Amino acid sequence: MTIPVLLSLAVSTAIGTLLSFALVPAPERRPAGILFRIAAGAVLGTGLTSCLCFLCLLAGMPRAVFVVEAAAVLALAALVFFVFRKNRLKNGPGEAEPAGRFKFRWALPALFCGALLASAASFVMATLREPHGKWDAWWIWNFHARFIYRSGEAWRGMFTEGLDWTHLDYPLLVPLSVVRSWQYAGGETLQAPVLLAGLFTFAAAGAVCAALALLRGRNQGFLGGLVLMGTPFFVVLGAAQFSDIPLALFFLLSFVFVFLHDRDAAGGNGLLVLAGLAAGLAAWTKNEGLLFFILFVLARLVLTAFSGGGKEAARQLLWIAAGAAPVLAVVAVFKVNLALSSHLFAGQTFQQVMPRLFDPHRYYEILKAYVLTGLSFTQGFADIRTGIHFNPGLVNVILLAAYLALIGVRIDGRDRLNLQAGAAVLVLMLAGYFAIHLVAPYELNYHLMTSLNRLYMQLWPSAVFLFFMAARTPEQALAGGAATPVKERLIREKHRKKGRRP
Amino acid sequence: MIVVKPDGKYARLRAGTALVLLLSLTFAACLTALYRGAKSLPEFPKTDPVTIHEARIEQIRGALPAGTAAVGYVTSIDNEKIFLYERTLRDVEFLAQYMLTQYTLAPVIVHNSPDHPLVVGNYITGAPDPALLAKNALVPLRDFGDGLILYRKDRKP
Repeated sequence: MTIPVLLSLAVSTAIGTLLSFALVPAPERRPAGILFRIAAGAVLGTGLTSCLCFLCLLAGMPRAVFVVEAAAVLALAALVFFVFRKNRLKNGPGEAEPAGRFKFRWALPALFCGALLASAASFVMATLREPHGKWDAWWIWNFHARFIYRSGEAWRGMFTEGLDWTHLDYPLLVPLSVVRSWQYAGGETLQAPVLLAGLFTFAAAGAVCAALALLRGRNQGFLGGLVLMGTPFFVVLGAAQFSDIPLALFFLLSFVFVFLHDRDAAGGNGLLVLAGLAAGLAAWTKNEGLLFFILFVLARLVLTAFSGGGKEAARQLLWIAAGAAPVLAVVAVFKVNLALSSHLFAGQTFQQVMPRLFDPHRYYEILKAYVLTGLSFTQGFADIRTGIHFNPGLVNVILLAAYLALIGVRIDGRDRLNLQAGAAVLVLMLAGYFAIHLVAPYELNYHLMTSLNRLYMQLWPSAVFLFFMAARTPEQALAGGAATPVKERLIREKHRKKGRRP
Repeated sequence: MIVVKPDGKYARLRAGTALVLLLSLTFAACLTALYRGAKSLPEFPKTDPVTIHEARIEQIRGALPAGTAAVGYVTSIDNEKIFLYERTLRDVEFLAQYMLTQYTLAPVIVHNSPDHPLVVGNYITGAPDPALLAKNALVPLRDFGDGLILYRKDRKP
């Protein structure tokens, strides 16, 4: 069954990649550009084909998915052909900063390849140990896939009160991606969720690496990829077959597309459409994705309005909305017609929520857990026997802070807006998660222990990407830097005002 | 362009230190994860627990009449305590067993209640409590061994 499952992934990758070429018809010949196209294409394609699968199910034609996908591939291929004929040879999206001299050019690719092999082996071992994935995989995601696939035309039967404990408000991107792979295979196979989990995990590492290589140079790309793969929880969570890594990847892609858009006009509005699509697919992956979509659009809108005026902000909003609208329509149909109400809010009254809102001890407990987990989440799931405790491990935010202090910051003017927006979105996402923990009806310690590490990990690939967009590249740092540092300039001005030479 | 870089004559040394620190720790983390995974691999059973329980619970399916859409569920503790024990982190095994029963028997819905014509009994911590069975009017239909019993409800709920 391996080949049909791989075929299903190849078809979704083809759909995503062709769509990216149709929207951004810039031929990119650098390896990083090709890698980014494929990684982003695979992920966007998986999301889009899950939407198509959902529409086929709604139409009562689950088997029509093959015809619909074949038609999509042909239509997109034709579109790409015409688009390329019309727009011959424009520049690729974004240009990396000119690479300085770097003595050990071989070291970073060698370490990256070593880390990739080690991570792949860790992923395989984790999968061999738990081929059905961890707890949530067979409680929620793979269970939903199984129920829908086995029910055939009666798949709507899953959305019943008797199964509300399996979180029937959660969107269906991951379960339906598994279902369509099973449809290709002609039966259930564990290879489908496993390969899908592998695709998302290593596409995330590939996307971080390739995006940074495109925007900041290949060494920065390797560093970003290394940090992500050196995060033990990243591989563990990927192999667990949860939806958190797919969600993290859609967050990341949304950011990368707007960076690419602002770096180079050649990408045009197609990059904004892709950003909207990625943010929309985040909402189709998990409920947290809806919060992300709103914050991502708002941050973009506000900062663009300040820097480029209201008209430009409205124009960009329209392009982002164009990418997100089809997916959001699918999410709306799901939420209105099928999804049961969320456990977090169902049956909660104002009188129940108010005491939690005005309980200072609850704030303190949550804040403490956020700080401890923020320093420790990279190491793995919280152990329910020991609770949340300080366990920084080797790779964590402290390491990144120390790295930044030593190597310095260098931000391209074209990236400034996106870095501000990205940081704002990540901080507001954490604030949103905090608010949910505050009002949720669950036992607080249980809720924090079972969710907080994963919530941090959803933001981690984006945080790593934004971090290396701001940090100086190794070649810039080792060469001493070409531009005048802000700090030096400030000292010089201070001395000038005092009337003496620095 | 915004640039903030460490000043002084040791700037290159600092940059080098930063790189060595980052590269060595990230790479060491990858190798540590690999080593831990490889070390713990022989400790794990040949077949993972989910597959083992799946094979065990799958026997029930063959005994269910065709067209059965839903069954009930009982175990060694009261049904209300299955989720409570997990949420208070007292014992997660009861919920895990219930979830695995549902995961295996899908698309048959396994209700967390004994009030159904057919009820799956799943006992991992010993024999069923006769008092609980009497209270719920459950009559054994078939005992599959290994703590797995299919019951019939003796009267309508």
